[in-house]
Amino acid sequence: MMSFRLQIILVVILLTALAVIIAMLKKRTLDLKYVLVWLFCLVVLLVFSIFPGTMTKLARFIGIYSPVNMIFFLGFLLAVTIIFTLTVSLSRTTGKVRKLAQMMALENDTWEKETKAAETKAAETGAGVNADHEQAHEELHLQ
Amino acid sequence: MKRLIIMPAYNEQDSILDTVREVEKNAPGFDYVVVNDCSKDDTLKICRDHHIHVLDLPINLGIGGAVQTGYLYAYRNGYDIAAQIDGDGQHDASYLEMMADVLQREDLDMVIGSRFIDNQGFQSSRLRRSGIHFFTFLLRTLFGKTITDATSGMRLCNRRTMELFIRDYPRDYPEPETVARLLRHKYKAKEVPVKMRERSGGVSSISARKSVYYMIKVTLAILMERLR
Repeated sequence: MMSFRLQIILVVILLTALAVIIAMLKKRTLDLKYVLVWLFCLVVLLVFSIFPGTMTKLARFIGIYSPVNMIFFLGFLLAVTIIFTLTVSLSRTTGKVRKLAQMMALENDTWEKETKAAETKAAETGAGVNADHEQAHEELHLQ
Repeated sequence: MKRLIIMPAYNEQDSILDTVREVEKNAPGFDYVVVNDCSKDDTLKICRDHHIHVLDLPINLGIGGAVQTGYLYAYRNGYDIAAQIDGDGQHDASYLEMMADVLQREDLDMVIGSRFIDNQGFQSSRLRRSGIHFFTFLLRTLFGKTITDATSGMRLCNRRTMELFIRDYPRDYPEPETVARLLRHKYKAKEVPVKMRERSGGVSSISARKSVYYMIKVTLAILMERLR
């Protein structure tokens, strides 16, 4: 069985973590999409810490002798799952950032070319260069 | 026939101007574009000051991301052929005309400039050569085709290959992996002999320390390509 002292420590830690996460969610520092798995993990561990009896049965069923080990094992499994999902979303984000940067470089290039073309045109028309120049810029913005 | 040369550049302030001038002189039938991969030195400034056409990436994407930007540009602007040479002065642009001829005449998807057909010009160090020979062996075993210089960054391709590269391009050390991808898709690739020089400025992206990582990463990438 688990000592009462460990039980208290675990519950305090888990509740603190829960409070921190909820506070950060409120401030929108965290995205709910990525936090769901953390919340799930915390709640599961909390239930097992408060009711070690349920855990003892499960531990015996799986073949783990000490229920405390069961908690650690479970925590480890959930942590690995979370880290893995993060790796997946990091890979996806990297791809998106790359695409974004490339598009930005191409768009800037197009914009520069258009500006240059507009400037040459303005210079060719001669008088009222500044006015034409501004107009060309406005046109670009409208596009 | 619109043809473009892509020159990826990362911290190449010492050699970029020479490379561009050489391209203008030796490959007059080509347009060119420098892709500045968010260099920390004056590469961008030098390009702007000399009115060199440059695509400026807002963040550093690595050589693969930079080259892919070039292919994206080529594809979107209707280029029929896109060539790629390094911005460090290793590659002689005068070969590109000949390579483009070979590509069209033999209706290929990609032409690669290889140092190891005639074994002339700068041959790289013995250790690097054995690494390259290992890739030749690996590609032959997995895809049944002999590519003597899979690491060559001097290559030229048609629109079909551009499409493939735009869809997906490795982040770093892309050359051997892209060759493997081409072979897997049964695209027609051919090597022609070229002479290369020793780099005139900058440092190789593959230091001695990184070469172990390089070999492992690229080998795995090629194996993964076979599994796809």
